[in-house]
Amino acid sequence: MQIAISVGIDAALITFSLALAAFGLAIIYGLVGVINLGHGAMLTLGAYLSWYAVESGAPFFAAVLFAAVGVGLIGVVFEHLVIRHFYHRPFDTLLLTWGFFLISTEVIKIVFGTSFRNVPSPFPSAIHTSFYDFPAYKTFVACVTIVLLLATAFVLLKTSIGIKIRALIQNREMAGLLGLNIAATYKMVFGFGCAMAGLAGALLAPMLSIDPYIGNVFLIRSFFVVIVGGIGQILGGTLLGSFFIGGSETILALVSSQVVAQVAVFFIAILILRFRPQGLLGEK
Amino acid sequence: MNNINNKTGGNYPSRRSFLKVAGAGAAALASPAFIRSAFAATPIRVGIISPLTGAWTVYGKAHLSGFQLAVDEINAAGGVLGRKMELVIGDSKTEPRIVVEQANRLIRQERVDFLAGTFSSAERNAAGPVVKAADKILLYPTFYEGQEKKYAPGVCNSNIFMFGPEPTQQVWPHLEYMTKKFGKKLFMIGSDYAWPRVTNEVTKQKLKELGGEVVGEVYIPFNTPQYESVLRDIRGSGANIIFHSLTGSDTVNFRQQFAAAGMQKDFVIWTVDDEEVVTSGLGPKVSANAYVSFDYFMSIDTPNNKSFLQKFKAKFGQDALMNTVGVGMYNAAHMAAMAIAKAGDVSTKSLRTNLKGLTFDKAPQGTITMRELDNQAIVPSYLMKVRDNWTGVNDMFEKVQSLDRAIPLDARCNLPL
Repeated sequence: MQIAISVGIDAALITFSLALAAFGLAIIYGLVGVINLGHGAMLTLGAYLSWYAVESGAPFFAAVLFAAVGVGLIGVVFEHLVIRHFYHRPFDTLLLTWGFFLISTEVIKIVFGTSFRNVPSPFPSAIHTSFYDFPAYKTFVACVTIVLLLATAFVLLKTSIGIKIRALIQNREMAGLLGLNIAATYKMVFGFGCAMAGLAGALLAPMLSIDPYIGNVFLIRSFFVVIVGGIGQILGGTLLGSFFIGGSETILALVSSQVVAQVAVFFIAILILRFRPQGLLGEK
Repeated sequence: MNNINNKTGGNYPSRRSFLKVAGAGAAALASPAFIRSAFAATPIRVGIISPLTGAWTVYGKAHLSGFQLAVDEINAAGGVLGRKMELVIGDSKTEPRIVVEQANRLIRQERVDFLAGTFSSAERNAAGPVVKAADKILLYPTFYEGQEKKYAPGVCNSNIFMFGPEPTQQVWPHLEYMTKKFGKKLFMIGSDYAWPRVTNEVTKQKLKELGGEVVGEVYIPFNTPQYESVLRDIRGSGANIIFHSLTGSDTVNFRQQFAAAGMQKDFVIWTVDDEEVVTSGLGPKVSANAYVSFDYFMSIDTPNNKSFLQKFKAKFGQDALMNTVGVGMYNAAHMAAMAIAKAGDVSTKSLRTNLKGLTFDKAPQGTITMRELDNQAIVPSYLMKVRDNWTGVNDMFEKVQSLDRAIPLDARCNLPL
């Protein structure tokens, strides 16, 4: 029983941190249809910006905010200069965002160097309870993720901005004819997705090594999360996908080695896609 | 050609002072042809393969700068046989496939005289067949798993010289101390490739002799971000020591989460991977009180190391990081230059013959000898403890015990190489 509880908590913690990492991708891929291969680089940028702010003496949470806003702004500029001309050509966005990844990785190396950096965790210890030691910071990140997902759900489902975004996804032309500013809405969503990637990078930074390739650890997993969960299923899909890609790994690792568990997870993901190509929650 | 070289080598001081006068007095007048004939030869070209991009970028800088520093010193002293040493640098991108491309390019297109570098065992194993086929020497700087016949020609290859320590040098000398002090149960965690697996195999042999046991052994695929299940296994294993051979960013990810889970007080970590670069990446809190063993640390207190670091920092900046691998490259460059000077030429055959048995007493870690039998360097071995609240590489490690000459087991090859 003890093991079951601790495995359950571990799985939940992984699910939420992976959902956080994949969230920006889910927004950009799911809402504006851009296959953002630069997502990993945006996580990395977020991590570096928060490291830079912390090194300059900013408190951790200000640094996280700085990273989110910074990466969001970079995203908006990138969208304005390049991406907005390619919304009707999704495959080309794949190459463009890959280019973004390559360029920003090199720029990071030039600006910040190639050594490992680290951001000290604001809650370094564990919370001791009678049945389980909660890693404090991970628990905090999980809570932030939940709040973030709920807030996004509220915006999408209950506010006029959300209605506009949903109208845009359902029928771009009609929404435009009804007077919706398509270009501005796309820009806003793209920028928000980038800001979420920056935020994720900054929040994950204290758990990880910061090097110019840190975001790539999450790139493939994030894509699996989005595709297994269902493209466009930003909330439920992201959570369910994260559970299948991250949470199930820790459960499988109970009965097998790490290597087998990681392989099995991706095998399961491929099986799901074979029988539900639209993802677990996607509609046909 | 050889004759001219020999003559230049023999007359070296007077030739150099002559050059100085000529250079100062008639630099503007001297035609390039004149300078060339005064040097008597074209430069010695060395091909370097370093991980400058990709997963192990963080190690690339120290790796390359070690060799560069040595070559600067050699050239400033007039070169070898009156010839300058010239570097041709290839980026391995941390991929064995690219190592093969680069090794071929450096040998066939750039026509280098010999190669130095490659970083991981996987990279070295990729270069092995290339240097064997082309009959070029490769100087390999990294701590590695030792030579076993079944991994030839990546090891057990008469064209490859090993300047880094292997497990019977890096681990064995400290196993007794660690198990006596902390207990005999080890939990082994490593990255999933040859070096950690073979290192653990070799470590187990000695551990068995000492009456210890392995209570858990896991191998982690590269770029794993989450470690919950592993931490759970460790908690339940009853281990005294976590024997740690994860590499690169996975090290940092694991250790951050290990610390965040509040497990630092319950287990001792002994790592055979975390030199200055990785420990800097871990930060003081996460790395505190871990044990580390290597042949070299920036903080070892010897005259050799002091003067080495002075030169290193003058060239690469006060904050630049050096490590065992960079020092391996540094020693490789100097020992190659010594071997060439002794031989009088840079052919593969004379380089091999003269590297064997060569001793270098200016190595930053002490005196090192290239063993004749199996091309394995005999190096010192240090066990260090990471200080609490360290502020930089200078106060990062505290010496626990050391050996001036850690003699490795003979390579498990058809000897002599």
